[in-house]
Parts: sequence; structure tokens; C-alpha cells
Amino acid sequence: MSTEKLKEIILKVLPDVDTVIGWQEGFDKIHITPFFMKSPEDAEKAVWNSLCVQNLAAYLPSLKKKTAVIVKGCDSRTIVQYMQEGLIDRSNVVIIGIPCTGVVSVKKVLKAVDYQPIEDVKFSDEKIIIKTSKGEKTLAIADVCPDKCKTCQYPTPIVYDHLAGDPIESTKPAESVYEDIKEFEKKSLEERRDYFKNEFDKCIRCYACRNACPMCVCQDSCIAETRDPHWITQKLSSEEKMMFHMIHAVHLAGRCVECGECERVCPMDIPVAKLKKKINSEMKELFDYVPGVNPEDKPPMYTFNVEEAKIKEHKL
Amino acid sequence: MRVGVFICHCGSNIAGTVDVARVAAEARKIPGVAFATNYMYTCSEPGQDEIKAAIKRENLDRIVVAACSPRMHENTFRKTIQKAGLNKYFLEMANIREHIAWIGNDKELNTEKAIDAVSMAIAKVMQNKPLHATSFKINKRVLVIGGGVAGMQAALDCADGGLDVVLVEKSPAVGGIMARLDKTFPTIDCSICILGPKMVDVGQHEKIKLFAYSEIEEIKGYIGNYQIKIRKKATYVDWEKCTGCGLCMEKCPSKNSYDYFNFGVAPTKAINIPFPQAIPKKAKIDPNYCRQFLKGKCGVCAKICPTGAINYEMKDEIVTEEVGAIVVATGYGLLDQNILTEYGGTRYPDVISGIQYERLLNASGPTSGHIERPSDHTEPKTIVFVSCAGSRDKSIGVPYCSGFCCMYIAKQAILTKDHIPDSQSYVFYMDIRSPGKGYDEFTRRAQEEYGAQYIRGRVSKIYPKGKKMIVRGADTLLGTQVEIEADLVVLATAAIAAEGAAEMAEKLHISYDTFGFYVESHPKLRPVETNTSGVFLAGACQGPKDIPSSVGQGSAAAAKVLSLFSRDMLESDPAIAQVNTNACVGCLKCLKTCPFQAIVEDTLRSGKKVAKVIETVCAGCGVCTSTCPCGAIQLQHFTDNQLLSEVSAICQM
Amino acid sequence: MSDVGTKELRIVGFLCNWCSYGGADTAGVGRFKQPTDLRIIRVPCSGRVDPLFVVRALLTGADGVLVSGCHPRDCHYSEGNYYARRRLEMLRRLLQFMGIDEKRFHYTWVSASEGQKWQQVVTDFTKQVHELGPLHDKKEKAD
Repeated sequence: MSTEKLKEIILKVLPDVDTVIGWQEGFDKIHITPFFMKSPEDAEKAVWNSLCVQNLAAYLPSLKKKTAVIVKGCDSRTIVQYMQEGLIDRSNVVIIGIPCTGVVSVKKVLKAVDYQPIEDVKFSDEKIIIKTSKGEKTLAIADVCPDKCKTCQYPTPIVYDHLAGDPIESTKPAESVYEDIKEFEKKSLEERRDYFKNEFDKCIRCYACRNACPMCVCQDSCIAETRDPHWITQKLSSEEKMMFHMIHAVHLAGRCVECGECERVCPMDIPVAKLKKKINSEMKELFDYVPGVNPEDKPPMYTFNVEEAKIKEHKL
Repeated sequence: MRVGVFICHCGSNIAGTVDVARVAAEARKIPGVAFATNYMYTCSEPGQDEIKAAIKRENLDRIVVAACSPRMHENTFRKTIQKAGLNKYFLEMANIREHIAWIGNDKELNTEKAIDAVSMAIAKVMQNKPLHATSFKINKRVLVIGGGVAGMQAALDCADGGLDVVLVEKSPAVGGIMARLDKTFPTIDCSICILGPKMVDVGQHEKIKLFAYSEIEEIKGYIGNYQIKIRKKATYVDWEKCTGCGLCMEKCPSKNSYDYFNFGVAPTKAINIPFPQAIPKKAKIDPNYCRQFLKGKCGVCAKICPTGAINYEMKDEIVTEEVGAIVVATGYGLLDQNILTEYGGTRYPDVISGIQYERLLNASGPTSGHIERPSDHTEPKTIVFVSCAGSRDKSIGVPYCSGFCCMYIAKQAILTKDHIPDSQSYVFYMDIRSPGKGYDEFTRRAQEEYGAQYIRGRVSKIYPKGKKMIVRGADTLLGTQVEIEADLVVLATAAIAAEGAAEMAEKLHISYDTFGFYVESHPKLRPVETNTSGVFLAGACQGPKDIPSSVGQGSAAAAKVLSLFSRDMLESDPAIAQVNTNACVGCLKCLKTCPFQAIVEDTLRSGKKVAKVIETVCAGCGVCTSTCPCGAIQLQHFTDNQLLSEVSAICQM
Repeated sequence: MSDVGTKELRIVGFLCNWCSYGGADTAGVGRFKQPTDLRIIRVPCSGRVDPLFVVRALLTGADGVLVSGCHPRDCHYSEGNYYARRRLEMLRRLLQFMGIDEKRFHYTWVSASEGQKWQQVVTDFTKQVHELGPLHDKKEKAD
């Protein structure tokens, strides 16, 4: 853990910025919340551990003053994508990177302790020890990490101004990233259709996935809620739920940085990111493009080649 | 909302296979529809009066006309409802003729389909908003691309009409193909004698700014306001100083340059004036053959030039011109003889193309008008003409007729007899196509007065035997094989699109067909216009044409430009993108995808960053609308809600 | 030619005004007979076709969707169809993933002069959709 080094960096950058966005302890030991630090005293309360899951980069486009933000490797892709799309002014952002070997999915932990109130949380080399009224439970972080960590290609942030720790190389094979998508595609067409119908039928249209998504730039103008244009009705039907998720997926085509926030915040445990991950696998295949990796790239849906090497005309 | 629906019978065109009365009856049931009727010919004057009367009588505020394609009559009906006091964008058309009545025989299915088409139009029209055109000024200058006979005619007519003309010609002199012809059919006029004065006029007209040896680099803008970048290619001769005296050409030691003007019939000098009557009569260096460029030393022309015009360091120059309309007269090209392997490609020197033969006939040509075999410079006695050398041949991608070959072959056969009285011409033909005024009589003269032997059939093979060329073919009228021992064979190679035609079309945003010829706005009724307003076609760039047709179209294009410029202001199409600044989040993805750079970043007084459409630049494609994630930029008349209402009208579970 | 054997299915076509809509007109003028299932929506450019229109149509009752624009290099707006090509290819693959047979969605290029090609496209696509049958379990109309 490099919490001390992190605090050192925070204190160093604080005078140059309006705010440093980091993490602090929440209402209990397992819930870590975002923390907007303004003073050296704040910095003392900053936290860094495997429960620092939330993608703090998502705040950047809405902030006008110069801001420092603490990012993990996965979160840094958000910043790179913002740069590609011109959504932030890089000179107005100080990036504090943290090399990360994997975080913990709170949902998975809570499930493992049968949703008992958490009394304490401790870490001990690659393990998390949860104390509840029913006793202590030790879980390997690898067993309760979000799915994205299992195939993480960017343990070290792609862009940063300060790095709290030494860079780490990815140990996960690059081919593993879309293995789950390939696996899913082995199902028959009907199985896939039923799967998504069942999953999206659970949707209560709370829009938490959208609100958490760092790339959903529309915010209050989201077409899921407007009358002009009127893409979608408030009718509680499978079609409208599916339509909402298709809007989200299509709008993120070639832009989803796979931070996993949409799934993390979904109260209904819908695999919201699956469609987006599928599109990403196709972006890689069609345009050799991975979102949020190279600030010089152009998102593939906003450009074209006169001759497309990988798109063949379809015959009937 | 009170929608009026008018279902047209179009005589029996629609009513024959669609139950129009039922369509009207079903339309009446749709909420919002106040009136629906069917009428024999809605586009006729009484038909239009019926609409106007109904608007007044029934107090209608939206109109649907179910008739032919909106590409045909949308404007007609827009004017109709405008006359009745409605905004002209309160009209939608349902295409129940081309898309329904004419493509299916089942009246029941057609009627159902027509009801759906009308429902979609009703759904859309109820979402329509009134749109208002704004006016903008026209730059009354015209660009003519191509200085062949069609382009020159267009340029001269425009200039005589008082317009400033910019004429861009890619070769060093105007005149095009016609300047290379010896005589013209069917009058046997000397081609350059009738064209020469026109060329001089073009060169001297105070209203015409001629850019010879120049090409179009870039075209930006829209009708009334184009910005054109023209590349003046380096000639290595300062044309301000060059007097066209020709001394350089005389003394130039590089004698084996390819002669583009003469289609390579004989070589020319590396520095040359293409032909004696050239306009402008200026020399230019071909760096591919010039010793100064190839070996780094020579400099003969620089030494001899009395005005010191030679400049080996000259570079291409880009100049910008602003115009309000464009006439495209880029002409045509000729099929590469190499493709015709059964005729030896270009392996046999005594098998030449029609245009090369034209140069041999020409008094100012490389042989001074003496017909010679290219191989041994002897006079040929037996000459075989092969028509359709490539034309009407699907296998090489030229299924069409080149149009003028039958006529020029007849002319060349006649001229051959005049030049060499003891010669015998043979013409292999598929069909004789001579539909012009005096044309058929002319082909008969070639046969009856000049003794040309016409053989109906195709040539299968040409091969050499000693000094002769053996032409083997079929005579389909006699049902026999024929073999002719020829001294010279002339191939009427197919007319194809000009080199670079597709790239030019892309610069102009106009359509071209499979063969590279430009597509007119309507094959019958708008033969000069293109689908891009402000761009007009003249001559063979639109399809193979003979001289009178090219000249006619050149004048027609000029007339179009003159009538366009007779107004001072143009109305812009209000069906363009519009930003809802409340909804716009300023992500500016629309700015990245706009093909016309019509979207810029704007800051509201609140400091909010939003997208802004430059109205005069927006062409109305709607790429921005389908790019915008929050639906804040909407292409008017094709908004998300309008298209969604059409989808909803037909997709109901 | 118009008889495809079974009951009509619902096919929605988005056609660009300048090429494909004109191509469909040309087919009509040439009396090239076609199956009657297709319902045409005119758009200025294939680049105007938001992939979500296709999704909306397929989710709310269409059994097949066809998008047709100008050939690459021949777009009236010079670039619209290039964007369409990328977006629609993405969509095609996404539909297949979520269990909607990619054969229900076709995008192609037909110019205003290609009446015969248009006939072929409509005929073949309609046949292809009929081979798959209806996408939705449609309720019979209540009336």
C-alpha cells in the first residue's frame, strides 16, 4: 500500500489546484466514498485500499476549476477518452496515478457474508478480512474482485502527472479480455435473446447505470427522458427497457472504457456492460481501436476510411 | 390539427392496381385527418385547385398527397399549398406510384401497402413544423471546367450574357477533342476552321479568365458562393513573357517526347506548342523528356528564347477564385487500345485508333495530311475500319453505344477516298447508328458514292502477315467468314469517361454512373442540372455526344446559369440542422462528423458551450443529427420525431 | 415475383433521397415487380440513419430492416454513407449478439440508376426475412 506516498503527493499538488478528488471512508468500513479535498487536513483523511472502486475521473468534465484526481489504471482510460473527445482541458487536470493490482467488489463481499452488517474490515496480503456479528471471514481479493480486474491490461495508469508507487506490468493475457464475450456467443441465438430479455426485464429504469457512466455526457438531456426527441415512452414494457439499454450501448459505441461503473451501481444486478463490451470487441476487430488507451486516437464512430479494410459488403 | 389527404389515381397508373377509394376511406379513420378524397390527376390544374379549395373549405392545416414520387412532384404540391396560405413544409407525399402501384400486381396487397404509406405520411406531417427560407446573395461569376467545345460554348454564352467566367482547362490549350479532328460529319467542314474562331474568342474575351494547363484542386461552398482552388501546373515557361514564336520548339534537342495532342502518332519536342492554332499559343516543357530535367544540363531553350521566358525552377501555383455556379464540361476519354488484345492491343503499328487516324488525315497533323502507315510510311491502299472496338461489349465493361463512331467512320472512309483515290475502305459494323439530321444520308454516301464496303459483322482477330494485316471477321448477312488483307486498320475505340472523372465528381459532390459519366438530375426533364444545385453539365462528361449535342448542351448550361443569376438573392433550403441550445451539452461530436464544416463551437451568454450551425453552409444531410447523443441538433423536416412517427405508424405489435 | 409464399411480414426500409430512393423510383418506372412487404421511409442521406431507428423498428414490430444509401464515393453529401457504413456494421454485429438474427438487417448501396439492382435487393431481402419468419409473436388485431 502506498497511502503515505499518496498523501505526500496530495499535499504537493494541493496548492496548485482547487480540489483534489480522492477517496475517504464512508458510513461503514466497507463503503469508501469520493472525497473532495481542499486542505492539508483533508489530505490526512485520504484513503487508498482495495475498496477504492469508484471511478473518480467521471467528475472531471463538469468541473471548471483546476482539479487533481486520483486514478487507478482502469480509471485513467476515462481521462484518455475525455482527451480524445475533447471533453476536458488536460492542462486543467492534474492526474495522480496509483498502480493497482485489483479492487474488491462490495456486492461480492456482502454476498459472501450473507449481507450481515459489517463491523470491521482489514487487509492482509491479497486478502480481505471482514468482521460481522457472526465472526470474521477471510476472502482472497482475487475471489471477490470485479470481473474487470480478472483481465486487467492496465494496472498502471496510462496517463498521469504523479505516480504513487512503482509501475506494474499486466500479468493477464490480452486475449483474455473478450473471452467472456466469445463464451457468451457460443449460446444459440434464441438463448441469447432470452437471456437479454430476462436480464433487461429486471430493469426498473432508475438510470443509475447512465448516471454513473463517465462517458454519458448528455446528463439531463438524455434522450431516455426527453419528449423532443421522443425515442422512448414511459411504458413499462420489455421493448422500452430493451430500447433504453440499446440507446446506452449505441451511444457508447467505440467510447466505453470498461470501467464497470454501470454494473457496479445497478441495483438489479443486470449485466449492463455486456452489450458495450461486445461493441468494444468489434471496434478492436474492425478498426483495431481500444477506447481510452491512446489520447491521439479518434473514436471510430466519428471518423471513417474511404476504403474500410475490415468491412465487407454483405451479400443477400 | 386538421390533415387533408388527397389520393391520386394518376389515370390508371395508380388506380389500376390500388383501390384508391379504400385508401381514402381508411385515411379518414386516422385521428387528425379532417378530410380525405381521391382524384383523377391531382397534379393537374383542377387537381391542384381541388387541394386549394379543400384547404379553405375544410380549414386544413396539413396536407398529404399520395401520388407519384416526391422527387417528381413535391415542389409542385408545395407551391400549391403555399398558394392556399399554408407553409410549404406542411406537405408530405406518399409515393404510391413508383413504390407501390408500378411494382406489384396484387391489388389487395398494393392497397394495404398504400394505406400504410399514407398512414406514415400522415404521422409525419403531424410532426412537421413551418420552415422559412432565408435569402443570401449570389456571386455572379461562373466557373467552367473543361475547355472543349461544350465548355467553350458555355463560357462564351455566359460571357456574352455579361457574366465573368473562369475557364479551367487541364491541357495546355483549349479546343478539346474537336481541335484534333480533321473534318466534321456530315458536312465535311474543316474542324479547326470552325472551332478556331471560337477558340480565339475564348482567348480574347474580356469576360473570360482562362486558366490553361490548370486543374481543380478543391471546391468548397454551395450554390451562389463557391470557393475554388485552382492548381496552375508548372509549364517552366513564363507565359507572361512567352510570345509563342516557337523558336524554342525548333531548337529543342529532345525530339522524342510523347505528343499528347497527336495521341502519340509521331513524337514532338520536349518544349512545344501543342498545335499551330493553340489558344493560348504558349510553349511548355515536358519534364519527363526535357534534358535539362533528366540530365541536369542542356538549357538550349533558355538560351534561345528571345524574351527570357524559360524558368526551370517554376513550381505549381494554387490560386483561389470565387464563383456562384459551375458548369462541368470535362469531356470524355477513349478506351485504351491495349485492352483489345484480339486486335493486337497496340502491338501492331498499323492497327491504330480512330482519333490517331484523324491526326493522319489532318493537314496540320504530323504527316501534313498524308495518310501513311506508321510502320513504313507507305501509303495504304486497303483500309479496314472496325466499329464498336470495345463499345457494346459487356465483357470489358462498356455495354453502351459510343454514339458517334458510326458517323466518323463514314466520314473517314469518305476522306480516305479523297486522299487516296485508288484506295478501298472496308467497314465492319454491328448496326449503323445514324439518327441525326443528315446523318443517315451521309453513311449512305460513304457506301454509294465513295465505295466503302460495309460488312455487317464483328472482327474476331487481327494479325500480321508479311507487311499486311489480316482482318478476320464474320459477315453475318452472307453467313460467311471473311478475311481482308489490309494495309492499315482503324479501330473505333469506345468512348469512356474522362480520366479522373470520378475524383472530379467527388470534388463537385455530383453523382456518376457505373461508367464514370455524370448523372443528370432527371434523364428527360433536367438533362443539364445535377443533383447538386448550382452545378450544371455540358458535353460528353454526361455521356458520349457528338459536336452539335455538346454545343447545344453547352448553351443550355449557360442558359441555366444566366437564369440562375438573373436573381440577386437566392433562397436557402430551410431543411437544415438546428441546435436546441437548452439540450446541447457542447460535446461537439457533431462538429467532428459534419461533412461540410457547417458546425462551429459557440458560447452562450451564460458561458455555456454549444454547437452552432452555419445556415448557409449546412447542406442538410443529417449526419450531425444521428451523431448527437442527446438529440439536441435536429435536421429540420427529417427530425428524430418525424422519422420515429413514421416508424411508429407501421411498427405496431 | 411478388408472391413470397406466406403472409406478408413487416419490413422497413430507410432510403437516402438521392440514390436509393431514386433507385426505387427507377425500379418503379421500369415496372420491375417486387414483393410488397417493404415500407419505405425517405431520409436525406444514409448518414442520417441513426442505428437506433433500426433498433426501434425491430423492437416495436418490424421483422426486417433495410438501409440503402449511395455507393461509397458517390454520396450526395460526400461522406454521409461512410459514417453509415461504420455505424450500421457495428449495429449488425450487436443485433446478432443480442439474439436478433443479423439476416433481419441489411444495409447496402443502390444508385438512382440501378432500378434492377433495387428490385433484386428487395426481392432477395424479403425472401431472406421470410425464411426466418416473424420476429415477434404478434397478437391478432383485436377488432
